Amino acid sequence: MSEAEHAHPGAFARLVETLTRTLPDSVRELDALVTERLARVPTRLNEYGVDRFGLEPAQAHRGLLPSALLYRHYFRVVTHGIERVPEGRVLLIANHAGQLPFDAAMLGAAMLLEAEPPRLARGLGEYWIPRLPFINELMTRGGGLVGTPENFRALIDAEECVMVFPEGVRGMNKTYRERYRLQRFGTGFVRLALETHTPIVPVGIVGSEEQQPGLWDVKPLARLLGMPAFPITPTFPLLGPLGLLPLPVKYRIHFGVPIRFEGSANEDDAAIQARVAAVKIAIDKLLEAGRRERKNPFL
Amino acid sequence: MGKVLITGISSPLGRLLARRLASGWQVCGVDSRSWQGRPREIAMHVADLRKRELEDVMRAEHPQAVVHLGVRREMRGDARNRHDLNVRGTKRLLDHCAAFGVKQLVVVSTGTAYGAAPENPLYMSEDEPLSASRSYPEIRDRVEVDALASAFVWRVPEVRTAVLRPVHVLGPHSTGMLADYLRRLRPPIVLGFDPLIQVMHEDDWAESIALSLTRELAGVFNVVGPGQVPLRTAISELRRIPLALPEFIMRPWIRTSFAAGLVPWPEGAIDYLKFPVTISGERFQHETGWKPLFGLREIFAAHRERRSES
Repeated sequence: MSEAEHAHPGAFARLVETLTRTLPDSVRELDALVTERLARVPTRLNEYGVDRFGLEPAQAHRGLLPSALLYRHYFRVVTHGIERVPEGRVLLIANHAGQLPFDAAMLGAAMLLEAEPPRLARGLGEYWIPRLPFINELMTRGGGLVGTPENFRALIDAEECVMVFPEGVRGMNKTYRERYRLQRFGTGFVRLALETHTPIVPVGIVGSEEQQPGLWDVKPLARLLGMPAFPITPTFPLLGPLGLLPLPVKYRIHFGVPIRFEGSANEDDAAIQARVAAVKIAIDKLLEAGRRERKNPFL
Repeated sequence: MGKVLITGISSPLGRLLARRLASGWQVCGVDSRSWQGRPREIAMHVADLRKRELEDVMRAEHPQAVVHLGVRREMRGDARNRHDLNVRGTKRLLDHCAAFGVKQLVVVSTGTAYGAAPENPLYMSEDEPLSASRSYPEIRDRVEVDALASAFVWRVPEVRTAVLRPVHVLGPHSTGMLADYLRRLRPPIVLGFDPLIQVMHEDDWAESIALSLTRELAGVFNVVGPGQVPLRTAISELRRIPLALPEFIMRPWIRTSFAAGLVPWPEGAIDYLKFPVTISGERFQHETGWKPLFGLREIFAAHRERRSES
């Protein structure tokens, strides 16, 4: 693994590394914690420290440390019921919000820092993510993959923990008015869960929905730029790239009771939709519970 | 054993294969270039696959088995001529195999024919479509050769035909797209991208062809080596320092340099520096029990040395 660390890291990774070296002791402790927990994640690496799916713990570490910092000190994440996540193959289904996928990063950090044993939540991303420079690298070296059915099956066959946000950009780039209103869910995850006998853990993420209040999604501009959405927020594009920083909201991640569906993956759509609705209701309940326990989004 | 005819025998990998097969077969070959200083037991004919000469060779040699390596890979030069040579040459060869009672045919295609696309799943099976030409028109002839051969598997079952789609072949004699790329002083990479690549040793490559012949394999098969690494890891294993360019600079640079003949890859090849093309060799392994002998470190070490062929 040490050799892979000396392989040429990307420009972004180098920047993160430089920043890490100049940071205080508390950060170094967190760094050690991430290293220790990563080492306990069960993965099979080849002689270059890369697993079958492109995960490179040495590189993943560079992405996970900033995540862990945000987790502890910025979003001050608290989790409930993380012990409900069963061992072996499992599918985490969560709400998606906040213009940029910090919710995915925080859910991933929660699984690494709080779950026992630590798990690496494998993200299944949209087809356009691999087209983005740097982001695609962060995704694959951090254990994520493009969300094709083949990739899903391969991960589940390897008894991995997969996280999916069935709302996709519909959820992530919705406006502030729509906060905590679950958008239409894709149905593929239920069919795949049925086919592979994978338990589904519903996850409600409270906080992300307020981190970047979207006022307007300028669809024609998004189309012109080849982006999935072009959100206008109080700070973006007004403050330029700086406006992409999320507000320091407090995250609460609620894990629900695992749902084990029985049946065939080839049932008609109505039967699948009913199961999707059941997952949605479970997430809604978790979101409600999370919102009840807080006074405002920042505390 | 019987007699095997190798097309493209004078290429570095053709010579390697000829030497490997010579231990168990009587080897002869055709190529448009001659092979000076070849071992005495290897017969060779200088011929164009599209011409009548090939028929004469088949009639004279009457091989039981044929290995088809004779496609032009060089992208520079006349694209129409390359297409004609590769596609029509292959078609002719297939016809002759059927006409002259060849028992076993191995067509060596390429794993890159699947194409580098962002939506590619990892470890694609042989059933995935070959979509390389979508963004890479120059590779169309290779895809068509594969399609011709794959159809031939079912069209003429009397000739047992194996279409092999190997991953990138590395080693001192290798001259493929990635092999040449990794030998450059500063291999260009696209800033912000680092796809997984799969590699195999050239001796393993030759071995997989030999195995396909002895097992009388029929069908379409991916052939993979010991594993995969990120592209940048491969570059640093070759003791090279990559030249990282943002895509908006890379594209026009490659486009103009290719037109001027300064780089061997057209613009479409850039996708291979961005997206993974990883394939599953399960079917081949299952059918033949094949296992690569060379590990990743040995492959890169072997590729660092360049042997000049005698």
